[in-house]
Amino acid sequence: MFTHMVSPLTPYLPVAVVLGLAGLLAVLIPALTTRLGPRSVNEIKSATFECGSDPIGSARQRFAVKFYVVALLFIVFDVEAVFLYPWAVNFKALGWFGYGTMVAFAFTLVMGLVYIWKKGALTWES
Amino acid sequence: MTIPEFTMADFWPVIPAGILTAAAIVLMISEVFLGAAASRTYQSLLSVLACVLAGAVALMNMTDTPRAVLQGYAVMDPFSSFLTLVVCVGTGLAALLAAGFLQHRNAERGEFYALMLFAAAGMTLLGLSNEFITLFVNLEVLSVATYALTAWLRRGSRPSEGAFKYFILGAFAAALMLYGAALLYGATGTTHLTDMAAKLRAALAETDASGGHPKQMLIYAGFLLVGAGFAFKVAAVPFHMWTPDVYEGAPTPVTALMSAGVKAAAFVALVRVFMALGPAVDPQLPFIAFSVLALLTMVVGNLLALPQRNVKRMLAYSSIAHAGYLLLGVAALFAVGKDAKVGVLSSTPLVGISGSMQSDVYQGILFYLLGYTVTAIGAFGTIVALERREDETKGNAWDLDRFAGLGSRKPGWALAMTVFMLSLGGVPPTVGFIGKVLLFRAAVDAGLLGLSIVGMLASAAGVYYYLRVVVYMYMRPAPEGALVPERRWTTELALVATAAGTVLFGVLPGPITALLQRTDMLFHR
Repeated sequence: MFTHMVSPLTPYLPVAVVLGLAGLLAVLIPALTTRLGPRSVNEIKSATFECGSDPIGSARQRFAVKFYVVALLFIVFDVEAVFLYPWAVNFKALGWFGYGTMVAFAFTLVMGLVYIWKKGALTWES
Repeated sequence: MTIPEFTMADFWPVIPAGILTAAAIVLMISEVFLGAAASRTYQSLLSVLACVLAGAVALMNMTDTPRAVLQGYAVMDPFSSFLTLVVCVGTGLAALLAAGFLQHRNAERGEFYALMLFAAAGMTLLGLSNEFITLFVNLEVLSVATYALTAWLRRGSRPSEGAFKYFILGAFAAALMLYGAALLYGATGTTHLTDMAAKLRAALAETDASGGHPKQMLIYAGFLLVGAGFAFKVAAVPFHMWTPDVYEGAPTPVTALMSAGVKAAAFVALVRVFMALGPAVDPQLPFIAFSVLALLTMVVGNLLALPQRNVKRMLAYSSIAHAGYLLLGVAALFAVGKDAKVGVLSSTPLVGISGSMQSDVYQGILFYLLGYTVTAIGAFGTIVALERREDETKGNAWDLDRFAGLGSRKPGWALAMTVFMLSLGGVPPTVGFIGKVLLFRAAVDAGLLGLSIVGMLASAAGVYYYLRVVVYMYMRPAPEGALVPERRWTTELALVATAAGTVLFGVLPGPITALLQRTDMLFHR
C-alpha cells in the first residue's frame, strides 16, 4: 500500500539534488580559493572596474573607435545566430528552399565579414 | 507547421532590389580588393548598370497583374513598379554625378556607391511593403544608408551638422512611426495592411460596458503618429526643419538622391498606408490632415525659398514646396468628386472619390514624381558641375554669384540649368509643366478647387526664385577671378540626359501617361 503512495514531489527529487550540489559548490569553491589561492594586491587590481579606462578623472576622454566596431560586429553575428537557429531546428521541413534562402542570407553576412576583415577592423594593434 | 510555398511569381517585384543589393555587395568587395586602382570611375558605371537592369525589370513588372506576393507582406502593382523605375532612374543619374564630384574631392570609394544602392534597394522595397514591420525595416534600410551618405565628406562642419541633425530627427520620426504602428497593431491584432483595414471598422465600433469606444483614441493616435513619421520623411511643413540643413550639408549627388528617391519612396508608402487604412475609418480625417499639410507645405516652402541666395538651400526649400503639390494630390484621393465643391477645408462627410477619378490622381502623382526626379537631379547636377572644393570652406560655395555669367562661360550648362529652373517653376514645354497640369487637373476634378488655387499661386511665386538663377546666369557678368569649372564627361552625360528627359517628357508625355493610365494602379485587397 505504502509503495503506491508516491509523493507528488518525487519527480522533482533530481532538482533537489542539483540544488544541493549547486549550493555545496557555491560554498566550496570560494572557500577553497580564498584558502588555497595565492594573493597579490596591487593598485590596479584593487581599483574600481571600469572597462579599461581610468575610473577617476575627466569623463570627457576619447575612446578608441575599435570598441564600437567590435560591439557592432558582435551584434551582427549575435543576430545572425538568432536567425540561423530556428532554421536549423526546422531544417528538414524547410527543405531546399529554406537552404537556398539561408545561403543567400549567410553569404551577404560573410561578404560583410570579408569586407571588414580586409578593411582591418579585426586587427586591434595598428 | 505549414511551410509557405513560393513560386517565381512571388519574386518578380523584389528582383530589382536584389539586383541593386548584389551590385552593392560587389562594389563593397571590389573596393577592398581592387581599391588601389588609379581611377574608380568603373564603380560609378557599375552602379549605373545595376540601376538600368533593375529599372528594366521594374518596367516589365509594370504590365504584370496586380497581386499580393510573399504571403501578403508585399504587393506587386504598377504603383510600386513605377516607383522602382523612378528610383532606379534617380539613383543611376546620381551615381553618374557622384563620379566627378568625389574624384574632385579625392573621396571616391566603392562604399559610397554601395550605400547609394543599398538606399535604393530600401526605397524600392518600401514602395511595395504591405505590412508594417516590412515597411519599417525598409524605411530604416534607406534611412541608415542616407544618414551615412550625408556624412560622407566628414571633415567639414556642414556635413557633420547635417548628418547629425538628420540622424537624430530621423531616428525620432522613425520611432514615432513605429509607435503609431504599434498602437494600430494593438487595436486590430495584425500588422498586415489589408487585414488591418478589414478589422479597423469593427475595432472602432467596439463598445465597452459604459458605452464608450475604448479603441477609438488608440486608433486615432496611431494614425497621427504614423502620419507624422511619413510627414517627416517627405519633408512636409511643419516637419520640414531638417531639410535645408541636411540638403546643404550632404554631398550634392546625395542631396539629389534624397530630394528625388527618398521623397518618392516615402510618398508611395504614405499613399499605400493611408489608402488602405484611411477609408476604413473615415475619409474625412485623412482628407483634413493632408489638406492642411498640403496648404502649409506649398505656401511655407515657397515663401521660405524666396529670400535664399544660396542656390542649394533654395532647391531644398523648393523640394519642400514640391512635396506640398504632391500632398495636394494625396488629399485629392480622399475628396468627394466633381459634384461637391470642397473648399480649403470641408465639413461635409466624404466618401472617397470614384475609381476612375482616383486613377487620374495616381497618374498625376506618379508623373509628377518622375518629372520632379529628373528635374531636381538635373538642377543639383548643375551645382555638382559648378562647385569647387576650394569654395566650400568659404561658406558661399553655392551663392547665386557662382552662376553669374555662366551663360557666356559655359553656355551648355547654363542652357541645361535654364531648362531645369523652368521645369521646377512649371513652365512649358517641360516635364514640370505637364506634371503640374495632370496633378492640379486631378485635384480640381476631385473638388479641391480652393486648395488648387492656393497651390497655383504659390507655384507662381516660385517662378520668381527659379528665374532669378536664370537672370544671374545670363544678365550678370562673371565675378573677378571666378574659378573655371572643370569638365567631366560623367557629369556632363548626366546633365545632357536629365535636360533631354525634362524637355522630351514635356513635349511628348504620351508614352508615360499611357503607362500610368490604368484603373488598377494600387493593389488593395
